Amino acid sequence: HPWEMVTTAAMQKYPNPMNPSVVGVDVLDRHVDMSGKLHSHRLLSTEWGIPSIVKSLIGTCRTKTYVQEHSVVDPVKKIMELKSSNISFTNLVSVDERLVYKPHPHEPDKTILTQEAIISVKGVSLSSYLEGLMANTISSNANKGREALEWVINRLNAEIEEFTASARGTMRNSMAAAAFVEK
Amino acid sequence: MNSVGEACTELKREYDQCFNRWFAEKFLKGESSGDPCGQLFKRYQICVQKAIKEKDIPIEGLEFMGPNKGKTENSS
Repeated sequence: HPWEMVTTAAMQKYPNPMNPSVVGVDVLDRHVDMSGKLHSHRLLSTEWGIPSIVKSLIGTCRTKTYVQEHSVVDPVKKIMELKSSNISFTNLVSVDERLVYKPHPHEPDKTILTQEAIISVKGVSLSSYLEGLMANTISSNANKGREALEWVINRLNAEIEEFTASARGTMRNSMAAAAFVEK
Repeated sequence: MNSVGEACTELKREYDQCFNRWFAEKFLKGESSGDPCGQLFKRYQICVQKAIKEKDIPIEGLEFMGPNKGKTENSS
C-alpha cells in the first residue's frame, strides 16, 4: 500500500482484532514543528494476561500496563517514525520499539517498514528466560502489526466506498428532485 | 477506541475524527498550516490530564502542550 495510506492507517491503528489487549489510546501532545513534521505523543493502555512468573516477581494484581509512544511524520520526505517504550514495570523490564515507514524505493505503491525492539530485563537471574519470552512475542507481534494495518486499511477503504455510494445516491435523488421541480 | 479516562472517550472521539480528517486531507498533502482541531484538542486534553493524575500513571518528562507548541522563539 502507498505510504500515505499506511501512515493514515497507523495513526488509527487501534482498535483492531490483532491487538485485542490495547484497550485505550490517548493523545498527550501533538504539534507541528518548525520543519513541518508532525509530532505526536500518545499513551497506550493495555490489558494482558500477565504470565504467572512475572506476577510472582511483582506480587500485585495490577492488570493495566501503559506504553508511551512518540511518532514523527515528515510529509515531505515521507518518513513516519514511531518510538515506544513501556512506562509500567520499568523497574523490571524495558521494551523499546522503533518502527520506520518509508515508501518503497522502487515501487511507489508500496511501503517499507523497518522494526526493531530492544528488550532489557533488570537485575534478575531469570533475565535470559524473560528476554527470550519477550523476544518471541515481539517478533510474532511484528507480523501481527502488519496484519493489523491491513485490517485498518481495508476498513478505511470500505468507509470511503460507503461514503461515495451514499453520496452518489444522494446526488441522484437531488437530481431527480430537481428534474421533477423543473417540469 | 476508549480513552484512559472513561469520561474522556466522547471528547477523544470527536477530536480523533477531526484530526484523522485533517491528517489525511491536509497534512499529508502538504497543507499543514491551520489547525481546525485546536479547540477540541484543548477540551480533550483537560479531561485526559485529570484522568492521568487520578490514575497515577507515571508519565515523566512529557509536558502537556497545546497544539500550537513548536513555534519557539529564537533569540539571537
